[in-house]
Amino acid sequence: MSTDEAEILAQRLSALLPGEVKVAVTGIASLGAQRRTLFLDVYESATGRTTKAVAQIAGAGLESNIVETVEHEARLLRAAELAGVVVPHILAANPESGTIISELVEGESIPRRILRLVEARPELGAKLAADCGRAFGMIHQIPTAAFEDLQELGDPERYAAEMETLLDSLADPHPTFRLGVSWLRRHASPFEGVPVIVHGDFRLGNFLASDRGLTAVLDWELVHRGDPMEDLAWLCLRTWRFGADALVAGGFGSLEDLRTAYEKAGGQWREEGFRWWTVARTLWWGLGLARQAQAYLDGLSTSIVLAASGRRVVELEYDLLRLMDDSSSS
Amino acid sequence: MLDRPDAASLLQAMAKTLTDEVLPTTSGGTRHSVRVVANLCRILERETVQGFAASERTRVALAELLTKQAPLPELVAELDRALKNGDEDFENRARRVLLDDVGRRLAIDRPGYDA
Repeated sequence: MSTDEAEILAQRLSALLPGEVKVAVTGIASLGAQRRTLFLDVYESATGRTTKAVAQIAGAGLESNIVETVEHEARLLRAAELAGVVVPHILAANPESGTIISELVEGESIPRRILRLVEARPELGAKLAADCGRAFGMIHQIPTAAFEDLQELGDPERYAAEMETLLDSLADPHPTFRLGVSWLRRHASPFEGVPVIVHGDFRLGNFLASDRGLTAVLDWELVHRGDPMEDLAWLCLRTWRFGADALVAGGFGSLEDLRTAYEKAGGQWREEGFRWWTVARTLWWGLGLARQAQAYLDGLSTSIVLAASGRRVVELEYDLLRLMDDSSSS
Repeated sequence: MLDRPDAASLLQAMAKTLTDEVLPTTSGGTRHSVRVVANLCRILERETVQGFAASERTRVALAELLTKQAPLPELVAELDRALKNGDEDFENRARRVLLDDVGRRLAIDRPGYDA
């Protein structure tokens, strides 16, 4: 980004913030296709105070419904903060320009770096698992009345049907995923309660952690209503343990630490539901990787990373077969 | 005549060059892409050596399961169709064939994942 561009952007961002402030762009974290992330200094002339902040700007035209997504995300982040979840405090949200500006939170998001911290201090892993359990407990108690417009994805029958539709949309057959769909239908474990707020993408890589534990839950774009066990299963998927497979809770902690903290924070653990969602989300991610490869094969993208995703599908097939085996033998 | 070095040997050299010489000079997104390409070279090296035998074993197992001789892609499509309406007994027999196939593909795509 040129100096001129940074200056224009800084002025635009200043206008979004309340009060008399001057913004300086101090760094660029990512220029991803989906979102740009910028680091800012926000100088408040009245108090002489400078606040470190982060601006996330959705890429025009790439996310299909930016205004709605940003509006939801901002509303959710505010409700989550009220409910006690550690999230970045929002300073300004402007759905029209796809922008959210929030206070900078200290912490590390890169999975391998977090796992290295945990390796050096195993007690941090237990703390992190407990922090995640507590955060889930609080997220699942966010009052849903203001969020009736969020999609409801908790019904097992409907979820299985959606997986089947995704599977049928792929050019190549995937018999293992076909087995996965029938398994989901045969083992459905419906959540009988009122659908809760589900974060939808809370796993290693999508939160900040420091040597004090969890510092912020990020990436709320996939939030919806549904079965709380979906969230807990997703955090524990083998694919998100980044090789630290023995530690089921995200690659950093034990399932017991996660569960105990979740229940202490008011959550209700359903073992059957947890297992069903572990299979369901493994299937979903396997289909996701196959779809990435499909985008490359269809010529929609020339990304080598998307092409390589096709060779990761087999990992999810293996996980799925093992998970289905575990449950049919017990 | 035989061209030397062969494909596996060249792919191994390509992965090594990318990792040892190119990777240290890159950063950010490019660094990630170089890592991905080096890993794909290693996958292709293993596929060159093991790929044919692996898919032939899967083809034979599927031909037996479906009692039909055909090329592998056709048999995979046939299995997928059969599973749409299959009973649990057929699913269990298919699962064993699929698990063996997945093991052979992991040996190429991600050795050690099923350890």
